Amino acid sequence: MKLTVRMSWNKIILPFLIGAPVLCAQMPPQIPAAAQAMLQIQQPTVDNTTPVTAQASFDPPLIRAGEKTFYRVDVTATESAIQWPVTLPAPEELKVTAQARGQMTQFTGNTFRPLTTFLYELQPATAGQYVITNFTVSCAGQPVQVPPASLDVVTEALAAPPPRRLRLQTTATNVFLGQPFRVRVILLAGPGNQLEALREIQLSGAGLMTDQSGTRQSIEVIDDNGALRPAFISDLMVTPIAAGPMALTAQGFTAGREFSGPISIHGQVSLPGGPPKYILLISDPIRLNVRPLPAEGELPGFTGAMGIFIKEPPVLSTDRLQVGQPAHLKLTFHGEGDLTRFVPPSAPISSDWQVIADPVPATGFTLIPLTDEAQATPAIPFCAFDPISGTYRDLSIPPIPVTVIGEGLPVELRDAEQAGDDSVPVKLSSLAPAPGKSVTHLTPLQLRGWFVGIQLLPVAGFCLLWQWDRHRRFLEAHPDLVRRRKARRDLRRKKMELQKAAAAGDAESFIQLAAAAMRIAVAPHYPANPQALVGGDVLARLDSASQNGGTADTVKQIFAATDRRFAAQAKPPADWLALNADVEAVLQQLEAKL
Amino acid sequence: MSCRAKILLVVLMCALNAGYAATNDWFALGVEYTHDGDFPGAAAAFKNAAGNRPAAGTFVNIGLAEWNRGHAGAAILAWEQARWIDPFDTRAITNLKFARQVAEVESPQLKWYESASTWLPPNAWVWIAGASLWLAVGALVLPRVLRCNRRGWHQTVAALGFGAFLFGMTANFGVVGRTDIGFVIKKTALLLLTPTHEGEIISNLSAGEPARRIWTRGNYYYIRTSSAAGWIDKSQFGLVCTEMEK
Repeated sequence: MKLTVRMSWNKIILPFLIGAPVLCAQMPPQIPAAAQAMLQIQQPTVDNTTPVTAQASFDPPLIRAGEKTFYRVDVTATESAIQWPVTLPAPEELKVTAQARGQMTQFTGNTFRPLTTFLYELQPATAGQYVITNFTVSCAGQPVQVPPASLDVVTEALAAPPPRRLRLQTTATNVFLGQPFRVRVILLAGPGNQLEALREIQLSGAGLMTDQSGTRQSIEVIDDNGALRPAFISDLMVTPIAAGPMALTAQGFTAGREFSGPISIHGQVSLPGGPPKYILLISDPIRLNVRPLPAEGELPGFTGAMGIFIKEPPVLSTDRLQVGQPAHLKLTFHGEGDLTRFVPPSAPISSDWQVIADPVPATGFTLIPLTDEAQATPAIPFCAFDPISGTYRDLSIPPIPVTVIGEGLPVELRDAEQAGDDSVPVKLSSLAPAPGKSVTHLTPLQLRGWFVGIQLLPVAGFCLLWQWDRHRRFLEAHPDLVRRRKARRDLRRKKMELQKAAAAGDAESFIQLAAAAMRIAVAPHYPANPQALVGGDVLARLDSASQNGGTADTVKQIFAATDRRFAAQAKPPADWLALNADVEAVLQQLEAKL
Repeated sequence: MSCRAKILLVVLMCALNAGYAATNDWFALGVEYTHDGDFPGAAAAFKNAAGNRPAAGTFVNIGLAEWNRGHAGAAILAWEQARWIDPFDTRAITNLKFARQVAEVESPQLKWYESASTWLPPNAWVWIAGASLWLAVGALVLPRVLRCNRRGWHQTVAALGFGAFLFGMTANFGVVGRTDIGFVIKKTALLLLTPTHEGEIISNLSAGEPARRIWTRGNYYYIRTSSAAGWIDKSQFGLVCTEMEK
């Protein structure tokens, strides 16, 4: 069994052994010879074995009272390792007007060695000899002795030149928040017009941001109080990031011939020989006034762009595209502002487009339509602040009309198998030739308030019908009410006819109508048919006081007149119309009893 | 009829028919756009026609235009709206079967009374219920009020009326329930856990997938599909009986 296993491993390994010479391995990346040489050079190390030393001196050590001098302490260690005292052990007469500290690395042949300088600007007011005694500072846990230094202050004028210091110039001192401006740090040539480079330049000032990437170095001949002198000039770009008044100062180390980076030289230059001497220099401060950006008039899309910019018409790679097909929108701006710090407009948010901004510093966008309902590119709000006029300038990108084509879906299945079963049609229908059956709204009647109101109408109808039936049953139970109502209605009609007959002077009709009205008025009391009643029946319904008076006579005369047609000898008609008022009174009395 | 009355009648008829004339204009324009292959324009024209006067044929044509634009969800919604107006529209029925087969989406799951309500147009059921109720009430009440002799057919009419009323009421409940049914109209619509733009995504929904609206909050519907429930943006979900915007 063991033999079998060994044979199997041999079978596996053998092809690899045989095929190894003919197999091609993956080739390693080719590195140029010059690059290999660079990689093989041993980089210098940082010297941290040599004991730390400190030097202290006044620059210059002899001044006139009221002039300024520098007290400079150089320590061969990193700044972070040194615990520097808050106050100097200096006499009270030495007034400290400014101070700075800086660090650099000096190349000592085969190692780098750190150098930290602490600089104080002093201005003694009175003459005398001042000594800053030796003192001890802690450096990485080890005590380092700072030697004493003495300063002589005299009252008479001295011929010695003032101590070297940097000069600082700015293009603007009254700027807006975020407005970049250039700062020029100048180091004039020293004695013998020997020019030195400047290293580790720093601008100090709260609320200022220095752009080291935009630094330009040059050597030029400048006017120094009427005398032309060569100078090392470093141009830096500074952006205020806080509003309010502030002071700007510069510091840097002289570095002999150690120029770093590109430099443009104008005019004749004398460079010093020998090893460089690293001396920390500072400048006088410059007062700046930083104004906040105005809130009023701010336009949408402000990204912090400062300057006078002009936009070119946007260029879209195509104006006809399909859903999902990207198109590039090229935006071009030019102007007087700082284009190195130009922040392009941010990508707008659109439901119809996916917008991808080009990587900075490009200012274009990649637009991808998400739907064919998009008819134009999204508007891109953008503006810049013009620090000269103090206003915002609109640079918005308007929408560009485009045609977006959707991707259609199949309108017909290729074979019946795709349909799955026979009930599924193999293609879509044709267009409907007419709108066909329609409704006023898609919302059904069940959910509309007026329809509920309509349902109340049958309810109201049934209620009315019920009331009518109830009333009818009531009248059937009380027939006298029906008779009296009918008598009143007939009596009103007869009275109108009576008045018409009286007005017409028709005495015969007047008599007949008066008798009929009286019969109608008393008929419900019996009850009886009005035609069956006689004058006695009417008299019986009069008040007891009226049954023997003039009213009774009127009734008798009326009925006597109506009965005269039955008499043997017809009597001549009396002045029956004169009874009109009496008849009216009788009828009123009878009507009141109905 | 006096001359003034005739003029008034003609003006009234013109005013009433103005909407129909505009509808027909948009409809004809949509047909023309469809024949020219301009499906976005056709869809817009048909939607205008439907906004003036919702009609089954108009919605069928909206669905065809949307389908040719690649909007399967909007097409299915339009054909469902056509069936909502006219359940017997053969074009809408055919196209819905075809579209669901191609888009691989299912039909909405209806309850039994909702299925019954699809037999007739929604408005027919409410008239049937109302008429049958009052017919039954009338058959019982009127003979007594009118003092007619009660006959056997009075009882029969009342019984049939009440029966039709009860069935009509269940169908009406079905109609009301179907008003919450809608369809996903956008591709890859997102079903969210919360009604916010930054809500956690539960799942992606396919265009044309049916769902039932449960609640509404702001710009979001809480919907329940056959597999999940969550919030969806209103712009990505269309209800069948949503009124078209004019």
